[in-house]
Amino acid sequence: MEGIVPAMVNNEQELIILVPEHANRVWVGTQRPLVMLALSRPLVFDFSSTLSLDSSTAALIYNLGRRCKASGSTLTIRNIKADLHSTLTAWQPPSPVSNTLTRMGMLEDLGTATLAFIEECKEALSVCAETLYWSTWGLFKKRDIRKGALGEQMYQLGFKALGIVGLLSFLIGMVLALQSAIQLKQFGAGSFLAPMIGIAMIRELGPLLTAIILAGRTGSATTAEIATMVVGEEIDALKTMGINPIQYVVTPKFWAITVTMPFLSIVSTAMGIAGGFLISLLYLELSASLFWQQLVLNLFIRDVMAGILKSIAFSWLIVMIGAYFGFKVRGGAEAVGKETTSCVVAAIFAIIVADAIFSFVI
Amino acid sequence: MQEHPLIRTKNIVVGYGSRTVLDDVSIDINRGDITAILGTSGCGKTTLLKTIVGLISPRAGSIEILGHSLVEPDSDESLTVLKKIGVLFQNGALIGSLSIADNVALPLTLHTDLPVSIITEIVAIKLSQVKLSHAANLLPEELSGGMRKRAALARALALDPEILFCDEPSAGLDPVTSAGLDELLLELKQSLGISIVVVTHELFSIEAIADSIIFLHKGKLLYRGELSGAQAITQGPIPNFFARVDSQDSVVHNADELFTVENVS
Repeated sequence: MEGIVPAMVNNEQELIILVPEHANRVWVGTQRPLVMLALSRPLVFDFSSTLSLDSSTAALIYNLGRRCKASGSTLTIRNIKADLHSTLTAWQPPSPVSNTLTRMGMLEDLGTATLAFIEECKEALSVCAETLYWSTWGLFKKRDIRKGALGEQMYQLGFKALGIVGLLSFLIGMVLALQSAIQLKQFGAGSFLAPMIGIAMIRELGPLLTAIILAGRTGSATTAEIATMVVGEEIDALKTMGINPIQYVVTPKFWAITVTMPFLSIVSTAMGIAGGFLISLLYLELSASLFWQQLVLNLFIRDVMAGILKSIAFSWLIVMIGAYFGFKVRGGAEAVGKETTSCVVAAIFAIIVADAIFSFVI
Repeated sequence: MQEHPLIRTKNIVVGYGSRTVLDDVSIDINRGDITAILGTSGCGKTTLLKTIVGLISPRAGSIEILGHSLVEPDSDESLTVLKKIGVLFQNGALIGSLSIADNVALPLTLHTDLPVSIITEIVAIKLSQVKLSHAANLLPEELSGGMRKRAALARALALDPEILFCDEPSAGLDPVTSAGLDELLLELKQSLGISIVVVTHELFSIEAIADSIIFLHKGKLLYRGELSGAQAITQGPIPNFFARVDSQDSVVHNADELFTVENVS
């Protein structure tokens, strides 16, 4: 087979490699066993029939040369033509820089990771605090917000999400109602479907579903926008113009989502209940008046307030996490994508944890 | 009485992690000059510029621009200084979601109480100054690299700054566009009396526009003064730079130690 050149051991116990006519990367690829070999005996490359060589051949020779030296063995280049010798010399790699870094132990690794985590927490808290400050008290100090930015963001973050939030909530409400109705029907307790769906949607699922959808939509958009601005030096440009980047980029989103999220949450709740209502009509054959009577009877204003409070808290989590991951980006386009993904994961995680905490508190 | 320098850095040290990028750099930049910060890639030119304009906090040392410090971001003192400087970033750094006119109008809208009609007039003047009147309603992505830089220059000039900082204005531009940008900078200096600090490694640019130069090498200040003075130096990295010779440390080769060669024909 072309490229595979025999090796032999001579009387002086040298391993002689006959380099082919054209020493190229195909041939070097076939020399893998040689590279893996423990170089215990002297190695000779015989170039007597070689007419050309490429950089992979040079790399092989220099690599083996270094390993021979390390193992106390020798490497000899024999019968090489002058032009090939100069080519080989021209492709000489630099000496590897001695690695002065010492490998860290497990405890040091743990310590470094802990310090990095603490640093990250500090940065996250700093972005959250700055967002809160510049979006509230800071507005009395300066207002680096473009005219119309709030309306534009409310349209982008709120109005445009209306369809998807409504549709998904309706479907979830239907599915939830259907699964519950099957069980309730067995006990003749179908009329309890209305308060069950109502409370679940108002207190839990309405705000939670809206928050998860907005975490994917708004959170990722916030991170991607800010990260792209960081990478393109737009944030630096804002700073040098004396414009506070948090106020310019984050504050309009902060207020837009704070205002629109409770409304979206109400829409989500209403659509979820509507889905449940449809099931109660079609599957449980409850009358519409009984459904609404049961719903109103078992719902209290504190349930509605809890839902609204949650949705506001979730909206702040989404925008702050989005901003944090956006400002933290380092690198190019790949880093923007990475941080955007991290933002969505972190935001959904934070929302669910916050929801669990809220369930105990309110 | 000696005039107070426009920009003064004293013994600034800047680093990222364990790497020191600027080491004990002290410079004075005079009013009315075009000062070029020179050096080979990675010597700390852009870091010095970003440190001066307050984007990077030094580990040690102090910086004064127009007699003020930029240490505290969002402070009134910082804001006063930032309104008097303009920065042209390497790739323009225009806000992608705004048209060119809106980009130029941005600092005027946020920092002044001028009526919209006057802001529109100012934007038209600035765009005409950089010969981009026809591109006012275009988005940055619709412009070429050279046009984007000129638009960014118009934005940097929006508040009539006293100092203009330019980070590699010629980078990525063809020689003709690059020369045009140099001419524009000279024009700004002559007609408006703006002091300009340019980070560059383009020798043609330096020779065409620089009144004084600051030469950095591996984060250290090697020379500060007139271009002719630097060109008179005969030893070290500075003459290599002007002679377009790579002055990086030579790579260590040791082939002779790795193998022996027998019978070269």
